[in-house]
Amino acid sequence: MTRHDDGVTLPAAPSAGRIEIDGLAKRFGPLSVFEDINLTIGEREIVSIVGPSGCGKTTMLRCIDGLVKPDGGEVRIDGQRVTTPPRGVAVVFQHFGLFPWKTVFENVAYGLRLSGVPKKQIEASVLRHIELVGLAGFEKAYPYQLSGGMQQRTGLARALATEPQVLLMDEPFASIDAQTREILQFELLRIWESRPTSMVFVTHSIEEAVLMGDRVVVLRGRPSSIHEVIETGLPRPRTREVLSSPRFNEVREHVWSTLMQEAEQAERELQESR
Amino acid sequence: MSFDAGRRRSLSVSLLGLVLGAGIWEYVGRHTQKSSFASFSATVSALWHMTASGELPRALRSSLELFAAGLGIAIVIGFLLGLVMARIEIVRTGLEPYVAMLYATPMVALIPAILAMFGFEFRAKLIVVVMFGIWPVLINTLEGARSVNPELIEVAKSYRSKELQLWGHVIIPYTLPFTMTGVRQSIARCLIGMIASEFLLSANGLGNLILIYTQRFDTAHVLAAVLSITLLATLLMGIGRGLENYFARWKVGV
Amino acid sequence: MSAVPQSAPLVRPFVLNPGVRKLAIRIGTGILLLALWEGLVTWLAPSYVARPSGVARVLPRVVSSAEFRSDAKVTVVSVFEGLGIGVVLGVVVGLTMGRLRDVDALLRFYVSSFFAMPLIALVPVMTLWFGYTGTVRLVIVSFGAFLPVCLNVYDGTRKLPAQYVEVADSYHARWWNVWFGIALPASLPYLLAGFRLAAGRALVAAVIAEYLVSLKGLGYFILYDSRTFHQNEAAVAVIALALLGVAINSAAGFATRRLLPWYRPS
Repeated sequence: MTRHDDGVTLPAAPSAGRIEIDGLAKRFGPLSVFEDINLTIGEREIVSIVGPSGCGKTTMLRCIDGLVKPDGGEVRIDGQRVTTPPRGVAVVFQHFGLFPWKTVFENVAYGLRLSGVPKKQIEASVLRHIELVGLAGFEKAYPYQLSGGMQQRTGLARALATEPQVLLMDEPFASIDAQTREILQFELLRIWESRPTSMVFVTHSIEEAVLMGDRVVVLRGRPSSIHEVIETGLPRPRTREVLSSPRFNEVREHVWSTLMQEAEQAERELQESR
Repeated sequence: MSFDAGRRRSLSVSLLGLVLGAGIWEYVGRHTQKSSFASFSATVSALWHMTASGELPRALRSSLELFAAGLGIAIVIGFLLGLVMARIEIVRTGLEPYVAMLYATPMVALIPAILAMFGFEFRAKLIVVVMFGIWPVLINTLEGARSVNPELIEVAKSYRSKELQLWGHVIIPYTLPFTMTGVRQSIARCLIGMIASEFLLSANGLGNLILIYTQRFDTAHVLAAVLSITLLATLLMGIGRGLENYFARWKVGV
Repeated sequence: MSAVPQSAPLVRPFVLNPGVRKLAIRIGTGILLLALWEGLVTWLAPSYVARPSGVARVLPRVVSSAEFRSDAKVTVVSVFEGLGIGVVLGVVVGLTMGRLRDVDALLRFYVSSFFAMPLIALVPVMTLWFGYTGTVRLVIVSFGAFLPVCLNVYDGTRKLPAQYVEVADSYHARWWNVWFGIALPASLPYLLAGFRLAAGRALVAAVIAEYLVSLKGLGYFILYDSRTFHQNEAAVAVIALALLGVAINSAAGFATRRLLPWYRPS
């Protein structure tokens, strides 16, 4: 396990870093959410970001997409500074963000339609991606007719249809029941194997972070900052066997004890402040 | 933009809107014939004269008596009938389509018939106002009393609530916010009924002021009467909204 | 088996075939109400007052008369014209107020004041502006329809879940994509609820305008026949207006189910 190394962010070779996060900081009013975040994410790399609720990991993801303006530092994607949502980047939201008045087909087509792709091409691509996420036959269904898992499959297909080079996952499976979540995790890994992209995977589930990531970024403290970056060193393609491997358990225990220390400390501080 | 700065900006734009509105009204009023439009200042001074002479307070009182009596009767009948319909399935099934039909009927169409049956004095006008106002209270009460969570009734029964206690502790408190939504809608409809009956049956109150000053082509006084009706309506709707919020104070996100 | 009751104890269990029973009760109640009307009028009111038997007698003649038909046409056409104008303006203004804070601050006071007041109070002074013409009816009907549509669309746009806008932003949506692709469809249920209110107000406004401005139409038909002691004939026109109200309402309900298959009222 390697400690996080500051200062690797600046001029890196294009192949080394697709996403460069450089001294990123965000405040809400007087409250500093996170500060001094430095991270480089490679072209075919999955980086998980894990931390306690309220640590600002979701906000950080929005900063990477340019949905939220940071108060310090910057994010560069392929060397371009991010100010508004860049092309080639797609987000999968925890809230799914499906438009209830659109069918599965129309929801998946949304991103393509906004970028003015010809109709024929949209249709072919949408059908291909609906198939890819295992929703063939549900093209005409409305979101309310789908289970949570199927809704998020739709959200995933919408993101993939734009053929992004960067996928930002905002706790995508957090509001899905445990069994379905596990199915979707391996489904996502399977899809990623067939078309690897850079992926930032924000989650509060330690297992999920370790299972998905090449590296796991642990956020700690208030304001939070990067406490540790862990190379998981798990083989790809990842299958269910990974879950029972000694290495998986080792990493998971390590992340768990790191976050527990913080939780206990926070509890102690709360006690003292009373 | 911070929350406060946003509010301050909204407030100043609102004020600007009011000033702009009054300015346009004044400008248009000064540049049109007196018999078709009056300026803001002329309207305000007409309002002042009508108030000082006691004409407006008298009209207001007469209109409000009609309104309050009509609304009161509409609420009582609407609420009770709504509860009865919610409680007794056969009454609900029988009456539902006819209630929906009467709700959709423009009640003004019935005014000539009411005139024929009840004359054009206070009683007839009261019937008009009640006919306008009763439906929203009835329909909302019915909806509310029907949607009481069965689990709550189960809880009440497990504590051996008597029927009367069940109503007092569960059904009526649950229904009142719905009823109050209906009351707010009824306030608006009763005002229409009030003005319509003053126009079409015996001319009294604010409606009468509008009619007589229109006949005299005295637009300043007509607009003053319309303005006072608008102020009255805004005030009454505010009271309605306050009641609604008060009775719904236990609901989340209201 | 669960011990939780399947439906509210307020509802008693059905015994008969529910559909047949329901229809029987409704028809029975209808007959009862008509009998009550017939009896009360015969017993209490002068002979010229409308009653079901009288209405039934004159119904075929009135409905087939050219006068009734042309009056009905005038009223229906002007109500639909006014509704059309009111809905279009209401959607545009409501959407703009919902999306732009300054426009909201500028107009909210006026829209809510006119919404609260009885608009029919403006009919007399409008005769001074437009003369005793159909314009008065068109303007008052349009304005009456505009206000509820505008306020409802405004409300729907204001309550637009932020997450939809976030998704749109992440896919590079421009402002018109957000307004017409997201805010408008999301507020369609509100628009249809507003339309129902608008239809009710439009009908009242049309009839009042016809009464006060003596305009050809169903309202004036009612007024004239009532004054000449043809109450049964007037009642036919009242029923026609009621049916028009019910028809517009059912059409809006049908449209909600048909055009908004995705909509699930919470």
